[in-house]
Amino acid sequence: MDPARLPGFLLRRCIKAAIVILAIVVCNFFLIHAAPGDPASVIAGQSGAADERYLAQLRAQFGLDRPILEQLWIYVRGVLTLDLGYSHRQQMGVGALIAQRLPATLLLTGAAFVFAVVGGVTLGALAARRVGTWADTAITVIALTFYATPIFWVGLMLVLLFSVVLGWLPSFGMYTVGADYSGITAVLDTGKHLILPSLTLGLFYLAVYARLTRATMLEVADQDFVKTARAKGVPEGRILRRHILRNALLPVITLAGIQAGQLIGGSILVETVFAWPGIGRLAFEALLARDYPVLLGVFFCTSAMVVIFNLFTDLLYALVDPRVEVQG
Amino acid sequence: MRDFWRRFSRNRGAVVGLAIIIAVMLMAALAPILFPGSPWDMAAAPFLPPGEMGMLLGSDSLGRDVASGIAHGARVSLMVGAVSTIAALGIGVALGAIAGYAGGWVDDALMRFTEFFQTIPSFILAILLVAIFSPSIASIVFAIAVVSWPPVARVVRAEFLGLRSREFVQAAECLGKSRIAIMLGDILPNALSPIVVLASLMVATAILLESALSFLGLGDPNLMTWGFLIGSGRSVIRLAWWMSVFPGVAIFLTVLSLNLVGEGLSDALNPRLARGRS
Amino acid sequence: MGVSRRGFTAASAAGGFLGSMGLMRVEEALAQGVAPRRGGTLTTMLTPEPPILQIGVNNQGPTLIAASKIFQGLLQFSPTLEPMPELARSWTISPDGKVYTFALQPNVKFHDGTPMTAEDVIFSVTKFHVELAPRARAIFSLIDTATAPDPLTVVFTLKQPFEPFLLMFDVTACAIVSKAAFDGQDYRQAPAVQRPIGTGPFRFVEWQRGNFIRLERFADYWKPNQPYLDAIIFRIVPDSQSRRLAMETGQAVLAHSNDIEPFDVPALRGRPNLEVMTPGWEYFSPLAWIETNHRVAPLNDVRVRRAMSQAIDRNFITQRLWFGINKPATSPVASSTKFHDSSVALLPFDPRAAMALLDAAGLRPNAQGVRATIKHLVLPYGEVWSRLAEYLRQAMRGVGIDLQLESTDAGSWARRIGAWEYETSVNFVYQFGDPTLGVERTYVSSNIQRVTFTNTGGYSNARVDALFAEARGAADPAVRRRAFSDVQKLLVEDMAQIWLMEMSFPTIADRRLRNVITGGTGIHKCFDDVFLAS
Repeated sequence: MDPARLPGFLLRRCIKAAIVILAIVVCNFFLIHAAPGDPASVIAGQSGAADERYLAQLRAQFGLDRPILEQLWIYVRGVLTLDLGYSHRQQMGVGALIAQRLPATLLLTGAAFVFAVVGGVTLGALAARRVGTWADTAITVIALTFYATPIFWVGLMLVLLFSVVLGWLPSFGMYTVGADYSGITAVLDTGKHLILPSLTLGLFYLAVYARLTRATMLEVADQDFVKTARAKGVPEGRILRRHILRNALLPVITLAGIQAGQLIGGSILVETVFAWPGIGRLAFEALLARDYPVLLGVFFCTSAMVVIFNLFTDLLYALVDPRVEVQG
Repeated sequence: MRDFWRRFSRNRGAVVGLAIIIAVMLMAALAPILFPGSPWDMAAAPFLPPGEMGMLLGSDSLGRDVASGIAHGARVSLMVGAVSTIAALGIGVALGAIAGYAGGWVDDALMRFTEFFQTIPSFILAILLVAIFSPSIASIVFAIAVVSWPPVARVVRAEFLGLRSREFVQAAECLGKSRIAIMLGDILPNALSPIVVLASLMVATAILLESALSFLGLGDPNLMTWGFLIGSGRSVIRLAWWMSVFPGVAIFLTVLSLNLVGEGLSDALNPRLARGRS
Repeated sequence: MGVSRRGFTAASAAGGFLGSMGLMRVEEALAQGVAPRRGGTLTTMLTPEPPILQIGVNNQGPTLIAASKIFQGLLQFSPTLEPMPELARSWTISPDGKVYTFALQPNVKFHDGTPMTAEDVIFSVTKFHVELAPRARAIFSLIDTATAPDPLTVVFTLKQPFEPFLLMFDVTACAIVSKAAFDGQDYRQAPAVQRPIGTGPFRFVEWQRGNFIRLERFADYWKPNQPYLDAIIFRIVPDSQSRRLAMETGQAVLAHSNDIEPFDVPALRGRPNLEVMTPGWEYFSPLAWIETNHRVAPLNDVRVRRAMSQAIDRNFITQRLWFGINKPATSPVASSTKFHDSSVALLPFDPRAAMALLDAAGLRPNAQGVRATIKHLVLPYGEVWSRLAEYLRQAMRGVGIDLQLESTDAGSWARRIGAWEYETSVNFVYQFGDPTLGVERTYVSSNIQRVTFTNTGGYSNARVDALFAEARGAADPAVRRRAFSDVQKLLVEDMAQIWLMEMSFPTIADRRLRNVITGGTGIHKCFDDVFLAS
């Protein structure tokens, strides 16, 4: 793509993204409010004693007694000024709540993502290179094993092996609470805590990427430009790296972009098993407690992330593969 | 057709997979004969290891027969997997095909719509939908279908986008075929192989998603499923490994064989690639 | 407060009690060769994570457990629910049962350094909790006047005698908060809600949501040289298997309430370094029952409710599902609280008798052997409750009732119970030591409300209403005891709800941790006497 057209393209895409996000916010709002129950009745149900005055008080305080459209307007107005609202249940601003939890999730999903992409592409490439052999079959079976085994099961098994039997790694948490490490010790400590959860989360996606890479590589390997390169006598290793792998990576990037939001969803179970203080748990608990603003805030964050990621992959596409035209 | 079968059967994995699937289906069909009575019956003492007191695969926390649960559970789990996948394929293929073929603003609108479903973490969305419609087998299948169609739409759109400008499509257009006929008759068959692979993975995801919902207490409590078994066995895994390992193996075998079959189908449908394999 | 103590100054008696209790424990410890040791961090867990740590603004279970280390009440309670001094060092009750005079501990400071005075107590009781907490509102509205003759004395004059009044002064019911931190503000949004300020032995330091809450030793605590621990850390560990692992690997030294699933308890019992205790829930005495909606046929027929009760093997539930932690219920009033009538008993487990009752009620089996179909909303509080629902379905099936389970999440459950949109469910409710406080609300017709934990079942019996009213207003415990006995007989006869079991929760502690469970509120005490032996 002509670099001169980039700013205009970016601007148009950003405006479009903003409109999409706004539409998503409105849809989410109605979706969440469609669930039976409200935060007041949940709080009343959990505190073990309540009366009607208490419920009315809570609802008035939460703004739930106003017409739904007015609630929507208040919310959208807030989002437009980047104010994600206030969790009356936790008496805290939603922005602050999410900001507290987002880094943990980004770290976990980021690590899992890198592991999955690197491992998946390597395994997939290996399988494609030796297609039809026992190595191909073994990789397929291993990938499917990870794919077909429930995440919570894998997590527990890893914990039993590495924490209980071998005692090498901590079984849960993000760092050693109360140890107050700093500097390199703190980083190492967090790293140690990160291994098991990111492995657990990553294994599932590793399987997906391995299979995708294998499939696309086989397809690309059959195309004319590869045959041409081969005919020209380009070394096989170079063909694999420069011609096949590079082109086969595009679908992987697309899928990864799509999965940015899903990875957070998938991390709920991992965050539960490993007591990882991330955003997935926050969303899950907010859903059970009908803490609307928090849930909407998390949805807003994930949709923003996905839209940005999609924008990014489109750009990458345009830069990597000149054949793809970028539509404003 | 015979040609197709020949190509399919050349892939040994696919044949094994097909055999396993048929065996699982037989088990599901024969469950009431193999294990008469309800799988919920508390037939023995709780937490019996496999082999004791006639419990082939052990008993669970209430003394229910795990083997009976797996056989009866196969029916609902396969059904959940199949129905939700078919529904998701229906939505995904329709929207993806229209978007890819029509292009322009239709494509844009449909893709933004798809994006909406992709931006919400799918697991949370599934829980939300099940909560809204109250947990039952119908709402669970619905929720699973709703969260699993977007990748189908994306893939189908990409395939249609690629195939739309090919010669055979242009030829069909010249012949004056209707758009629907072209989409269904000419493009779709050529886009089938990635859809088949995707579908075989989706059945697995559906079974696992049902198990995760069931684990959170949002399954249909009146139906025995593999998801229920693995979900209820998970927390007692250190007390009774058999409660989650055997249903896990059942899920794994089914998923594995579905994939092998999917791959065999894809190879058989795409002879160009299959040649590369042999 | 027992009868014998009423009318004379309890100051000396209570003071002596405090001394002897405090000394006794230390002596006991010394006798075992363990002196209380200063230092150490107690790492425990909290499930689920509380939304807020300010008692009053939030009164959920986990909030009470963590915040009871930061806040204190005027009183605490022994395992037999006798009041013991905490922020009140003594108290007297006038002979007519209307005037309560509390003498406060001197030198008590809030964590912000300001002294605690009678003003704070009056504010907490008559303003803060009355505004925020429904339970406190109902009781404290009986207070006619609240005065402070001097900064260390509080006098409450009631409009009418109310015998269980003292039970409301535990920290979990009425934590004493700082007036300066809240007065004149919206209590729910005051800054102190995020950084709680109490008088307890531990002050709030840090809360990383989803991760941990850290409390540290309060240096100016009013008991000299206490607390012994340097800090308490509550880790948020959402998964029960991870919590079990934490106890096994020593990452946590204390587990309580719902932390450990009942089926994991036997395995932890077997570990030599851990101690499993079930006392410490006497004040709350949760009682679980099948909640029946009396508006729905055939549940409006007492014979059907009795048949359902007789179809259930309560021993199976308590032994096989709760591994002996719970006890079968025998009455609507838990046996660990006052006024339980041990002569009252439920009809025994007897499916045949149950079927005869159903026959008599006109419910005959159809071709499939089904006499009636009843819906059951599964309590969404975790796995063991799902297992209970599955057991109940099989048990009901055994007498020809087809129990159809419906699952929900917590949000929908609370709404549906509150809106009476259910046929049966399971519920468990705290009794708070006295039937007037914790039992009456489920059965009197005046409390039929569209709110959870009221009389949502719609049970109504004029004699029951009258007896509860009599017990509420009577100053004489003997009168109350008689009324409650009659009420228990009536309720069992009417099978107002189908009581299942008296619940407790296992507290599991590293053996080095001493004095964990000493009173009737167990884990909810302030922990100023808990120490880690080396």
